[in-house]
Amino acid sequence: MKATLALLSVCLLSAPAFAAPGVMLRDDDLRTAPAANAAAVGRVAKGATVDIVARQGGWTRISGGGRSGWVRILSVRTTAPATGLGDVLGAVEAGTARRDPGKVVAVAGVRGLDEEELKLARFNAAELQRLSGYASSRAEAEAYAREVGLRPAKLAYLPNPKRQSNQPKQNGSAFPWNEGGL
Amino acid sequence: MNRVRVMRKTLPTLLVAIVLGAGFAQAGDLEEILKQMMRGQSAPAQPAPTQPVPPAPPAVPTRPAPPVAPAAAPEKPRDQLLKALLGGATTQEEEVRIGQQIAGNLLGAAPLVRDEALQRYVNRVGLWVALQSERPDLPWHFGVIDSDAINAFAAPGGYVFLTKGLYRKLRNEAELAGVLGHEIGHVLRQHHLKLLRQSQGIAALGGFLGRKVKDESELVQNLIGNGAEIVARGLDKDAEYEADRIGMVLTARAGYDVYALPAVLAEIGHVPRNDKSVSLLFKTHPPPADRLEHLAEAVGERLEGVPEGQSGEKRFYRLR
Repeated sequence: MKATLALLSVCLLSAPAFAAPGVMLRDDDLRTAPAANAAAVGRVAKGATVDIVARQGGWTRISGGGRSGWVRILSVRTTAPATGLGDVLGAVEAGTARRDPGKVVAVAGVRGLDEEELKLARFNAAELQRLSGYASSRAEAEAYAREVGLRPAKLAYLPNPKRQSNQPKQNGSAFPWNEGGL
Repeated sequence: MNRVRVMRKTLPTLLVAIVLGAGFAQAGDLEEILKQMMRGQSAPAQPAPTQPVPPAPPAVPTRPAPPVAPAAAPEKPRDQLLKALLGGATTQEEEVRIGQQIAGNLLGAAPLVRDEALQRYVNRVGLWVALQSERPDLPWHFGVIDSDAINAFAAPGGYVFLTKGLYRKLRNEAELAGVLGHEIGHVLRQHHLKLLRQSQGIAALGGFLGRKVKDESELVQNLIGNGAEIVARGLDKDAEYEADRIGMVLTARAGYDVYALPAVLAEIGHVPRNDKSVSLLFKTHPPPADRLEHLAEAVGERLEGVPEGQSGEKRFYRLR
């Protein structure tokens, strides 16, 4: 059973039949692992057509031209239609995604939060009070950031691309994480 | 006398029903309802003829937050709040007051998770992210609410919530910062406040109500009502995209992995669309794929040279 599962996941990982076609949106380094400090094994150019085979965190695994590796999640998108292949990629991810063994999946007594509940909600002063009690002071937040070594970086807000260029949106473009997919 | 009492009871109910139930696009129906009420009640006030407020450009620079006048609320004429809210010149104090009402309502639907360490952790991270914004001095409050749904909410004045269900999906502190950053973006750009303003119904009924209520507190109570659907109400797509862009930038400014928010979006996109836990989220937000595509377009080459941020995976507070 274990062997079968292992074999299956190897197939899912490597079989190009499970890949979705994609295109690079920008130049990016191809890395050996989904991490910025992983070795770069080459560069993939904007416009290059690739196969998208997996995703993890902020990274997407691609292959093409005899090479494979990881690029940033926003550097590539699928050119596959939203249906069908998306599901296949979902299967790819299901086979490769790191599973958290500690994760408890609720099967009963799921407490949702739908429109009806929100509509009927009544003001809860006690909870609001509790919330205030948990608030952090500026000094506390800054001390925490120092303690864990978070260093503020400079980055301007991103302008709305739709306002800058009125390029018509490409039709049928879909990311691998489209409906039911990754 | 009886009539007045009926009015006072009916109006808030009606307002709640309209604000929460009917779409804002149906302003015509509202006018009709109002007209009927006016005829039937010969009320002293008439609703000012209101024009739908065109959506303000999203990149409006926020005014520097004025210092909160201590204990000014009781003296403040209620009409001033109304005018401020409807005219688009809400002070920070008023904004916070409105947010407080909405936050209290939301907590009525789902209380805070009983885990003090978790709540304090989320407040530290959240405030650190908010401190990187142009409104660091808002009274920011962050909370994890007890629901298995996957969602996050913002209310005016600095109230930010995420569900336990969404928290469980997060893999590290950077992803938490990304989610909070998105909601902080809604607060910064006053998206929900604008939604309130844009409502012709609020404008008309507000003018009406303004003469009937005792004080500002009651007015806010009447304006917002008891429901919290406003926080889950679909903002327009551009507001969501804007909050995504802000969320990503604030995450990076705070020293976290700038790609953490896109990673969460991709993860959410992986949840089957028909899963109950995401039904409200998917109903009120563009599909994750569209949001990622928008972010990719907005980012372009702009992240070149941004220092590699932390993921904070090891210290990430895990839910028991």
